[in-house]
Amino acid sequence: MGLAQREIEAAGIATVSLSMIPDFTAAPGVPRVAAIAYPNGRPLGNPRDARGQQAVLEAALRVLEEAEEPGTVTTLPFVWPEPAKQVRRESHGETPPIGQLIKRKPWLYLKLVSGEIPRAD
Amino acid sequence: MTATARSAGFDSLQFLDGATKRVIKAWIEREERRPIPWTPLKKPLGECRIALISSAGVALREGEPFDQEGERRNPWWGDPSFRVIPRSACSEDVRLCHLHIDRSFGESDLDCVLPLARLGELAEEGVIGEAAPSHYSFMGYLLDADEFLRTSVPAIIQRLKEEQVDAVALVPV
Repeated sequence: MGLAQREIEAAGIATVSLSMIPDFTAAPGVPRVAAIAYPNGRPLGNPRDARGQQAVLEAALRVLEEAEEPGTVTTLPFVWPEPAKQVRRESHGETPPIGQLIKRKPWLYLKLVSGEIPRAD
Repeated sequence: MTATARSAGFDSLQFLDGATKRVIKAWIEREERRPIPWTPLKKPLGECRIALISSAGVALREGEPFDQEGERRNPWWGDPSFRVIPRSACSEDVRLCHLHIDRSFGESDLDCVLPLARLGELAEEGVIGEAAPSHYSFMGYLLDADEFLRTSVPAIIQRLKEEQVDAVALVPV
C-alpha cells in the first residue's frame, strides 16, 4: 500500500494512509500515515458502529490538513476495547494458500522472510 | 526529505500471529531510506473532493471477482488488478476477495474497510467538500508488486485525475 501511496502523491494528489500496521505502511517512505491501534480487517472499527467509523475517518482525513512535512505519522486517539491477546485468540481468518504451502514445506518460510519470491512455482 | 524511522507509539504488530510478525518485521527492516514525495493539500479539507482506496479486495457482485484460484495454484502470486467501486455501493453490492484477512467484518458492513457511507456523511456535514464518483480496491497480498505498480496504479491515478480528485485516503486491511 505504501508504494501505491508514494506514486499517487508523486502524481500531485495529496494522500494519507489509515494504517493498523503503521511501521509497515510507512516503511517505503510515505508522506502521511494516520496510525490506529485497531485489529486487522477492521481499520474503521466494528460493523454497524457508524459513529465510531465516522470519527476514525474524519480523524484520518484531518491528517491531510495537519501534516506539515513528508513522513508524518500521526497516532489517532482511539483505543480498541479488547486486549490484543483476546483479538488474536478470537480471529477467524482461514490459513491462506502460502500458509498451507509452508506447513507442507517449512523451509520455504525463509524465502518469505528473505523476500526472495519465486516467480513461478 | 528522506524516510526516518518514526514510530506510532504503539506496537504495530500486536494483533498479528508470531509467524506473520516475523515476516513483516523482516520486510520493514529491508526497506531503504529514500526521498518521500510530497503534495500539499491545495485547499481546505471542507472543499476537497476525496477518493478512497481499500486493499481488501472489494469487488462488485455483478462484476469480476479477484482471481483467488490463481493464488491457490501458486501461493506466491496475488491478483494485481483493481476494481472501481462507485460512491453509491453498499455492503449488499460487493464481496471481499482476499484470502489473508477475516472478510466477515467488511462483508457484513462495507464501511469497516471502505467507508463510503461515512464519507458521504462527512460531505453532508461539510467536513469534506464531496466524495469522488469513483473509489478503488485491490487485493493487498502482492509479494511481487511490480505488475500492480506498472499497470493498476497508473490506471487509478489517471482516473483520479479525470475525476479531479484533490486527496486520497488509502485504507490497508
